[in-house]
Amino acid sequence: MLLELHKVTKHFRGLVAVDDLDMGVDGGELVGLIGPNGAGKSTIFNLITGVLQLTRGKITFNGIDITGKRPHEVAELGIGRTFQLNPLFSDFTVLENVVASFHLRPKSSLLDTLFNTGTYRRNEASIREQSLEILNLLGLDKVRNELGKHLPHGHRLILGIARALAVKPKLLLLDEPTRGMSLEEIDLALGAIERVCQEGVTIVLVEHNMEVIDFCDRVIVMNFGKKIAEGPVDQVRKNEEVIKAYLGSAHAA
Amino acid sequence: MELAIGTFANVLILSSMYILVALGFALLFSIVGILHVAHGAVYTISGYICYQLSQAVGLNGWLSLALTVLVVSSFGLFLERFCFRPFFGDFDRSLVVGIGLILFIQTTIVVTTGQEARSIPSFVDGILRAGPLSVSLERLVTFAIGTALLLVLVWFINKTKPGLQMRAIAQDFRGAIMQGININWISAIASMIACGSAAVAGCLMGAYLNLNPFMGDYVLSKAMILVILGGIGSITGLFYAGLILGALDATLPVFFSGSVAEVIAMSVIIIVLLFRPTGFLGREIT
Amino acid sequence: MEWKSPFAGKSEKMIKSGVCAGLFIILLMCPLFMKSPYLIHIFNLTFIYIIVAVSFRTIMTSGQLPLSHAGFMGIGAYTSASVAIWLGWTPWITIPFGAFVAMGIGVIMGYPFARLRAVYYAMISLFFGILIISSVKAFETWTGGAAGLTGIPTLFGFSKIPYYYFFLVLTSVCLLVLHRFEFSRTGLTWKAIAQSYHVAASVGINEARYRILASAIGCLFSGLAGATYAHYNGVIGITSFSLMSTILLLIYVIVGGVGSFFGPMIGVVLLMTVPELLRGLREYVPYISAAILLMVVYLMPKGAAGLANSFLSWFTELRKNRRTRDAS
Repeated sequence: MLLELHKVTKHFRGLVAVDDLDMGVDGGELVGLIGPNGAGKSTIFNLITGVLQLTRGKITFNGIDITGKRPHEVAELGIGRTFQLNPLFSDFTVLENVVASFHLRPKSSLLDTLFNTGTYRRNEASIREQSLEILNLLGLDKVRNELGKHLPHGHRLILGIARALAVKPKLLLLDEPTRGMSLEEIDLALGAIERVCQEGVTIVLVEHNMEVIDFCDRVIVMNFGKKIAEGPVDQVRKNEEVIKAYLGSAHAA
Repeated sequence: MELAIGTFANVLILSSMYILVALGFALLFSIVGILHVAHGAVYTISGYICYQLSQAVGLNGWLSLALTVLVVSSFGLFLERFCFRPFFGDFDRSLVVGIGLILFIQTTIVVTTGQEARSIPSFVDGILRAGPLSVSLERLVTFAIGTALLLVLVWFINKTKPGLQMRAIAQDFRGAIMQGININWISAIASMIACGSAAVAGCLMGAYLNLNPFMGDYVLSKAMILVILGGIGSITGLFYAGLILGALDATLPVFFSGSVAEVIAMSVIIIVLLFRPTGFLGREIT
Repeated sequence: MEWKSPFAGKSEKMIKSGVCAGLFIILLMCPLFMKSPYLIHIFNLTFIYIIVAVSFRTIMTSGQLPLSHAGFMGIGAYTSASVAIWLGWTPWITIPFGAFVAMGIGVIMGYPFARLRAVYYAMISLFFGILIISSVKAFETWTGGAAGLTGIPTLFGFSKIPYYYFFLVLTSVCLLVLHRFEFSRTGLTWKAIAQSYHVAASVGINEARYRILASAIGCLFSGLAGATYAHYNGVIGITSFSLMSTILLLIYVIVGGVGSFFGPMIGVVLLMTVPELLRGLREYVPYISAAILLMVVYLMPKGAAGLANSFLSWFTELRKNRRTRDAS
């Protein structure tokens, strides 16, 4: 198991956002995390990446206990993520956004940076190359000199994915990566996700778009902070609890 | 005993004046959205205008006071329209405008009246005796006016419609606009009130103590401390902070030398802010 | 805030380097033409304040507004001066010592403050700056308190000229180092933190560490400037390191242009040097400063440097167009 959540619980002053969740993701899987709004899906991402503190439970990644680790430590260990509200570096250009995100690998030491040594210059050149590659992969190379704050919504989402890739993650958490995208953008995003998968990166997706979910190896369904179903997509689709959660009990019967 | 009462009275008066200026400053920050660093200069020039009116023009003390408040409040309108509104939301540039204003005002004072300390002749003379206690009428009247004004302002903010609109803007700017509140109109009123109360404080203190072109700086820093400690957006918090600071100001120098007292006071403030950045009763600043 | 991209065009970079080199050479030769020691003194002050203003802005690039910065100049000054006077060490040692003490205190202050959001950091550092001054006043026996500290051993004795070259070289070196930080990955990381600490953390950036680094560097140079000032002037007083001084620094940066590395330099020249040169006008001098301030703020949204940069872009565009026209 690459990622394991063990009895994870999160309370928000009386509201139980995540309730005693057990969840596991194997290396190389493409897992979908679905459920009605407010089910706790983004909260789980925030708990994994350390943006929120757990009330109870344990999370391990690659054998290491990451419960309570801070977001940048989690990123260092190899987990990349995108955000639902999609913040970005608004005063940087698209290219700068990605270049800045190559903070971890390769890492130049402070002395190297200060004295502009060969190592530093080589690292920066390599980073620039890799950034352009990522932008090409995701179809953003034409807008690479656009300022972040001028980007339309769809581009921002794709930029979010680009940033997460710069971390060279073993596990990628995508929070509604196709929300609000046009059809072509969705195709682009799906292609990118596919290619990332082929590279061996494990992906967990939060999505409402069933087209995207169909690609997943496995789906986990949440409602009111609890896991209500888990398994291959077709199996989950027929699950009564799931139908009840999404469409109401009248449809389940 | 005499000394204790005297010191106590002093602290009360100073506190009420500081709270008056701080209230105006807080109004300008929460409602007009500007960090009005020139507020101390408004306070200062009010004292000088009053001085000129009563000395050079020879008007009666109370008339000078009333006229000064009128002039400075109108100046508040001018400030709002030309110096605050164009830079709403732009912290950097509103700060520069403020500093420009301070320089302009202070230089004008120095050039016209000179740097030496002056004093406005007292508005009231005489001493009130009640048994073994006696207090100068000036102290009494200053304190009375200051407190009365504070109470009127609190009443205005809490019980009148414009006051309600002000509180709405301070809490949620966008929401208030969408409810149809006329931000320009309310900002103008807020500026008038803020400058007007600073004017009253400036004149009263100019008579009670004395005038110098840079007295606003000290008062401004006191006001900022009150607003930050009390918490942005909370008037009750401001009052608490005013009382606590007044108490600290009065008691600490008894046990420690002046500068050590300052060090202690600053350290306490910093530690409080580290654990409660929003002050005693303030909201999160978005 | 809008930043000049580190990927700025080659011709822009060459023009800027050319201007800097030219300026340096001109400054090297200036003392030959300056008869009045007062004029040289103003240049010296300008050099010192440029270091302080640029280091102030360096901290700002990481999203922190260090409203205690003049106070750190004071820490450098008072530390170096007191040690030189009371322990008898030579200024050549006490100056770096003062600078490192300032840096150390900057780091210590940085730790608890690095987790505060921008506004709260600004407020707390404002009070910290006041605390520094109050502490100086409290330790009267060593620092001379409110009256100031006199009799500080000087570096070169009376003549102003050796100081001129010393400060010219010192400022150039400091600027080179600070420039290097800003346009390297460190500067990029600082700017990333300033824009969104959430996103920065998600790509592995340790916000606290970089903010403390910015504080350390900023305070190091501010302390250095303060210490050298102390051993130049022979006399220091708390008014030079007060909150008002820090606010003036902020004004220099804003007027020069927050987004530009050279902005603070322009700000210092416009608002400190020019008024000092016009001292003859005595009380009316602040009117000039006020006029400059109001002019910049109402007419130049990106500050004076923004204006210069716009001119530079326009000029390079013009040259590019002319070259392509000639080619066709």
